[in-house]
Amino acid sequence: MGVLLLVGLPLLMAAMIFLVPHDRQRKIILLLTSSVHLIVTIIFWQRPHHVQFHSFLGFDALSQLILSLISILFFVVSIYLVGYLKEKRRRSNRIFIGCLLCLLAAMTLVTLSRHMGLLWIAIASTTLLSAPLINYFRTPQSIEATWKYLLISSLGIALGLLGTLFLAISATSIKTVFLDDILNNAASLSPAWLKLSVIFLLVGYGTKMGLAPMHTWKPDAYGEAPPPVGALMSGALTGCAFLAVFRVAQICFAAHLQEFVAPIFILLGMLSLAIAAIFILGQKDFNRMLGYSSVEHMGILVLGIGLGGGAVWASLFHTLNNAFAKGLIFLVSGNLYQSFRSKKIENIQGVIHKLPVTGTFLILGFVVITGFPPFGIFYSELLILKEAILAQRYVIVFFYFLFLSVIFFGYARIILEMAFGKPSDSPNKETKKEDFFKVVPLVILTVVLFFSGIFVPDALYSLINEASRLLGGR
Amino acid sequence: MWLELELVLIILLGIIILGNNRLGTMIQLFALQSFILSTTPLLIHPGKHAVVMAVVTIILKVLLMPWLLFWAIRHASIRREVQPLVGYGKTLILGGFLMGAAFLISAKLDLPVQETSNLLVPTAFSLVMIGFLLLVSRFKAITQVIGYLVMENGIFLFAILLLEKTPLLVEMGILLDIFVGTLVMGIIVNHINQEFRSASTLNLTNLRD
Repeated sequence: MGVLLLVGLPLLMAAMIFLVPHDRQRKIILLLTSSVHLIVTIIFWQRPHHVQFHSFLGFDALSQLILSLISILFFVVSIYLVGYLKEKRRRSNRIFIGCLLCLLAAMTLVTLSRHMGLLWIAIASTTLLSAPLINYFRTPQSIEATWKYLLISSLGIALGLLGTLFLAISATSIKTVFLDDILNNAASLSPAWLKLSVIFLLVGYGTKMGLAPMHTWKPDAYGEAPPPVGALMSGALTGCAFLAVFRVAQICFAAHLQEFVAPIFILLGMLSLAIAAIFILGQKDFNRMLGYSSVEHMGILVLGIGLGGGAVWASLFHTLNNAFAKGLIFLVSGNLYQSFRSKKIENIQGVIHKLPVTGTFLILGFVVITGFPPFGIFYSELLILKEAILAQRYVIVFFYFLFLSVIFFGYARIILEMAFGKPSDSPNKETKKEDFFKVVPLVILTVVLFFSGIFVPDALYSLINEASRLLGGR
Repeated sequence: MWLELELVLIILLGIIILGNNRLGTMIQLFALQSFILSTTPLLIHPGKHAVVMAVVTIILKVLLMPWLLFWAIRHASIRREVQPLVGYGKTLILGGFLMGAAFLISAKLDLPVQETSNLLVPTAFSLVMIGFLLLVSRFKAITQVIGYLVMENGIFLFAILLLEKTPLLVEMGILLDIFVGTLVMGIIVNHINQEFRSASTLNLTNLRD
């Protein structure tokens, strides 16, 4: 019942969207649907963490973690959109909100699916549903970004499908690709096809996650998408892709292929960190910088999985905190963009003087995302460093530290300049007021970040423990 | 016997698409290839499952997708591919090499499924590679979509191999996703055309670092 509500309600409401005549009513529907989704997700926390609803749909600790992340982030973004979509526009918001709701359903389906084919279908749908969201402004730049996103992601998705089919070939003796059947009978998988399948699946879902060298769509898409969409993509959508990659890792783990797959994870992770470090340094566009920052954090996630052990725990913890931190900083960038009418860093100066509240959150977002001590990202990055040192992999330790420092300096230069720089004497002196709907989501995300990173509730702590045990973590 | 003939035809059509520069012809060739492809399930695993699969494939890949692509080129009023990144002759030679590679790879991998024809896996690999080549070496957005679809046809051949084991629901979901993908791409091609007055991706070079 609850499952039906989680996936079905957003779809039903998306259908409603097309019947409702006014933009304002559509926003109310969006807000209501996301609240119900959040409430149902919270009710699910009362249940045991491993439930099978149907042969295709089920729930484990990882599903619960990612689902909660998606639900909270979507709720916050939908509050933000109430204020954001107020701007006068010629087109109605019908397609935009319809696609958003369908995207919510597809992302929920990703977390719930227990069949590798269904997982593929859900992930492919998220790509298609997010393309119209990126193309919201319909400028030449946003069309270019949408095309690149569609083409590269579709290619990745096609390779993922090929990988899924190879997995089915390697599982000939089991005759299904239900996740649980594969995990329980992993020893009977044919190794040659399984290895081929794992490579294709990692490249495919890695493209969706935005790992280097398949990251090229990311700065474009994040740079041109409306900031609330960027918040959803960099938090929730990458979370879904991470879940798929995690499932692949689970299969490898069950089939005793760690030694084959761990170097691939580590390589992808380090490469992503290197690319992010190179491109963040000289970045002139704030949202493109956030795109590269997302490449960096995805790199850290797979690095954690590659190192294994306690690093898996860190990786899961990092997913959660990165999603909310990215949500926060993208929504801040939305406020900046609407006030300064530019995404170029040189045009956004002296935020703290012009928009004191948003400026404060900008600094906060910077502190969180670069991993300053009290916040969750600091802890997970440190934990991964610790695991690498314990495993005596000093080359990784060296480059990890180097890249993170370079990225930190790149960030600091850009954000401090934006926050405290001398405001340019632009002709439009009066910037827009920071209204209720633009500030409340930031406050909520800050509170969430507080509980997901600093004062972690016991329930969340044990959930992450349980999820990391899926990959043999502690 | 019939199956092998069909597979050879499918590869040949792939090669002809690779060497063509008229978009209309390419779409027609793709439709023909999909039509031959849609009959293969009946030859490999005859049964109810295969019939459903064949019918859905014909509706989506032989009728709807080519119609959609024709709609897109009519709107964009484009007929030919511009001079490609790599010349046609070179692309064809490269395509030949990729086919050879496909046969080599398939010889190395022994299939745990009982095989109906030993041409099936090499054909599938070849199509995936030809589609990929088309996708990366051409500039028109429509040609890139056709490349993607040819690649998808190759993947479809693998899916047929597993027809009995995958639930029908999942197969349908996959086909539907691919169709919607083409739909969205078609719409975006139209946007590209409206914005730039040409559907060439050579225009899409503003975003870079």
